[in-house]
Amino acid sequence: MDSALATSPNPRPTSAASRRATRDPAWARWLLTTVALVFLACFLILPLLVVFAQAFSKGGAFFLAAVREPDALASIRLTLLTVAIAVPANVVFGVAAAWAITKFRFPGKSLLTTLIDLPFAVSPVISGLIYVLVFGAQGWFGPWLIEHNIRIIFAVPGIILATTFVTFPFVARELIPLMQAQGTDEEYSAITLGASGWQTFWRVTLPNIRWGLLYGVILCNARAMGEFGAVSVVSGHIRGETNTMPLHVEILYNEYNITGAFAVASLLALLAIATLILKSAVEWRQKGTT
Amino acid sequence: MSIEAHGIRKKFGSYTALDGVDLNAAQGKLVALLGPSGSGKTTLLRIIAGLEFPDPGSGRVLFHGEDVTDLPAGKRKVGFVFQHYALFKHMSVFDNVAFGLRVRRRSERPSGASIAERVHRLLELVQLDGLAGRYPSQLSGGERQRVALARALAVEPKVLLLDEPFGALDARVRKDLRRWLRRFHDEIQLTTIFVTHDQEEALEIADEVVIMNKAHVEQVGTPQQVYDKPATPFVYQFLGNVNILRAPALVGGGRRGL
Repeated sequence: MDSALATSPNPRPTSAASRRATRDPAWARWLLTTVALVFLACFLILPLLVVFAQAFSKGGAFFLAAVREPDALASIRLTLLTVAIAVPANVVFGVAAAWAITKFRFPGKSLLTTLIDLPFAVSPVISGLIYVLVFGAQGWFGPWLIEHNIRIIFAVPGIILATTFVTFPFVARELIPLMQAQGTDEEYSAITLGASGWQTFWRVTLPNIRWGLLYGVILCNARAMGEFGAVSVVSGHIRGETNTMPLHVEILYNEYNITGAFAVASLLALLAIATLILKSAVEWRQKGTT
Repeated sequence: MSIEAHGIRKKFGSYTALDGVDLNAAQGKLVALLGPSGSGKTTLLRIIAGLEFPDPGSGRVLFHGEDVTDLPAGKRKVGFVFQHYALFKHMSVFDNVAFGLRVRRRSERPSGASIAERVHRLLELVQLDGLAGRYPSQLSGGERQRVALARALAVEPKVLLLDEPFGALDARVRKDLRRWLRRFHDEIQLTTIFVTHDQEEALEIADEVVIMNKAHVEQVGTPQQVYDKPATPFVYQFLGNVNILRAPALVGGGRRGL
């Protein structure tokens, strides 16, 4: 009887059997859930709580003082400035790259697709070093830059360049699969209806990718605020001038100003949480519209 | 407006989609491009529309005797309906139909009121008045098809090109809609070329059938002509009720028995 059931082309197990086959025993479910939750608590939630506990360990007044300190304020300003330039730049580059890759046939397309992933593939420290080798005093353009009194490495432009490089893939990576799935028929329709390339982009392509784009921007923004490795290499760590928030946290920590370090870190953590909430909201909207 | 194509060649890499194809659609006719998939019929339609271009130096496309080979799609005044309609998902039916009028240069753009009037007239023509506020996702396949048709007609095209217009519909709706398309064509009198792989569909509604196979045109004629006098074995076989007698059994020495 059993073997007949197993070899029949379309076995229809009874509902009891299917329940047994698809459901794990209660203890297994509980065990797996508990393991997952304990892991989450230890590795994600606990550190987050520690950040805030440490930040306020010497009281609210100390926290405010640490955050309002001129060097801390300068680092916050620099981080925001970096984000304000790197993210819009990557939106433009990312959309252009995704548009080119998904809507056109051209030689070297697969190479371009691979290159987009390069910043993810190389270590951020290497990303920073690249710019030092190109624009640094001993680098290719070093002498020319010094002659014309332009400072890139150990200055704000270098930080922005390195951040832009490291966060480049987020927007493009988010858009390419989306635009590939949507195909080119709507764009071709628009063109046969007499729309110019620009009109096609603004009226047809952009509305179709708007949620994916926003999602990419949020991730890009989160990474741009938090980037440490590449920025650390090109920044030079000049207090109040070329320190971004993550770098400032490191300096404070190395000086045993642990509460101060955590105070600034808690601000970064807050930005990260806000980003996550925004991301979930966008995901929720995305599901609602498609 | 008549449509002519002469000696069109098109290769995609090493694959030959069209190998010296000619086509002639007289003013006001409904022409079917019929063939199995991979025969090049959709590529030919896209070349006529200006969405693809023939290989350099290979052939010409003429509209009413005028060479449009190098003209981009937007300037050819063609109405193109895609197989899956390609409606703008984020726009209402009204905005979809109005699109072609709204993207015109300011000097050529009709006023808002006259756009609205024209859109409603077109929706009436395709029997969809009352659905102007809906979004494409809220429509059935047949309704989407007609929205796509109204949208293509809004720009007052000189020719209408339909890629597998009934391909994405279920059998019942398909039959109704193709008769409707025939009547519709008689009403608007626009030179129309449609692509199909369905013999019955082509023979039932087209004035002229162009049968394609493997990047070539096999035969051109009225449905009656191609059905009664197939020019090649392929046409004979493709048009259905196949009863070719194969003789290799006799030639090879007659291996009979079980």
